[in-house]
Parts: sequence; C-alpha cells; structure tokens
Amino acid sequence: MTTLTRQDLNFGQVVADILCEFLEVAIHLILYVREVYPSGIFQKRKKYNVPVQMSCHPELNQYIQDTLHCVKPLIEKNDAEKVVVVIMDKEHHPVERFVFEISQPPLLSISSDTLLSHVEQLLRAFILKISVCDAVLNNNPPGCSFTVLVHTRDSATRNMEKVQVIKDFPWIVADEQEVHMQEPRLIPLKTMTSDIVKMQLYVEERAQKT
Amino acid sequence: ASEQAKPQPSSAIDKKVILLPCNNPPNQERVRLWLEAKKQYDCLQKWQ
Repeated sequence: MTTLTRQDLNFGQVVADILCEFLEVAIHLILYVREVYPSGIFQKRKKYNVPVQMSCHPELNQYIQDTLHCVKPLIEKNDAEKVVVVIMDKEHHPVERFVFEISQPPLLSISSDTLLSHVEQLLRAFILKISVCDAVLNNNPPGCSFTVLVHTRDSATRNMEKVQVIKDFPWIVADEQEVHMQEPRLIPLKTMTSDIVKMQLYVEERAQKT
Repeated sequence: ASEQAKPQPSSAIDKKVILLPCNNPPNQERVRLWLEAKKQYDCLQKWQ
C-alpha cells in the first residue's frame, strides 16, 4: 500500500490529474444534458463505472482538453477556488453556471487505496447528478454557447503563463458581462468531502432565460 | 505605528481574479455542419 503525503512532490499532481479527468467528463456531460451541441456528436462511454456521453467532435474535444491543461497547474497548487462552466445565450449573456467549488484540505497522509476507491465513488455521484440535472432546470434558449471560468488569485496566474504559451491558448481576466447574472436561482447538486479534496457543485440559473 | 497603518500598495495585494480563455469553442452551426458531413461520409462508407 502506497502512502502519499502533502509534502510528496507528486501529491498536487495526483489531485490535479484526478480532478481534471473528472472535469473533462463533467464538461462533456453538461454540454450534452443542456443541449449546447447536437446530440449526434455524443457517444456513450463508461466512466466511473457509469454510462456518460462524450463528444466525438475533434475541435470541441481539443478545446476542452486545452482548457483543462491550463487549469491543471492552478489546481495542482491549490489555487483554483472555482471552476465554472458557463452556458451563454446568443447575446453572450450567461443563462446557467455550473459552479465546481474546490478546496484541498490540509492532511498529513492518506493511503492510495483509499484515494482510488473512495474518491471514484464520490465523483460518480457527481456525474449521476449532472446527468439528471435537466429535470430541475428550465430549457435554454436556442443558439447557446459555453465557456469556462476559473476563480483564482492574481499571483497564481503566473502558474498558468508557461502552459498558455506552449498550448497557444491564452487566458484573460473576465469582464462584468461574462460574470454577471441577474437574479440567479441557486440549485445545489452535490457535495463531497474526501481526504484529498472537498468539492461542491451547484447551478446558478438565470430567472428569465428568454 | 504610522507605517503599519498605511494601506498596502495595490501591487502587493493578491486580489481575486476570474479568468477565461480568449479562444471560443466551435459554435453550434459549425458542429452541425461537421455532423452532417460525418453522416454523409459514414453513409458512403457503408455502400462501398
């Protein structure tokens, strides 16, 4: 049995790998469930031992991968407070925000066995919640698009700079229009607490979508 | 004591920021066209 500690150089990487893999699945599923793209581009796969829908559109898949590649160094350093999938209407105003609030609790040591089985179980519950969230949300207007926001600190952006250049995938500070939503309705979806990460997912939905 | 009371210069404050990618994901129309082309291609492959 392997024991990982926070002092271990790889610990942050392990957490970031787990979370980014999860976020990739979650983003694909959100785009499918919220009908941002035609259902024909999605194929059924098995992740966390449950069926999920993943896009087979190369450009979209690359975009999601590049996004998460840039977010990963922030998660690794525990600098990503929130990762938010924003669905926007034709006028680029947000209609829904899927907010993944992340924090990594300080811990002394954990076993890798605990990590793999317990965390996978917890993440599966998130996936199942996302796959049925359309039941509690109103339909989105036609012609929606999406983006991903990261809530971090000014100093942490340095962790992203190198990877932005390598990937030719620059990031900017969001302006008011991208962030502000009028009278959002809050829908909590799932919370998890594990040895390595605490995460809660909720949706903010605009009251008037059309 | 007066030194301590002074506010920190703005560069020293590690303020919260919200970042987003400059690039946009492919739009719905672009993806729809790709899907149509893929269906036609798959159809042709079946007949060959």
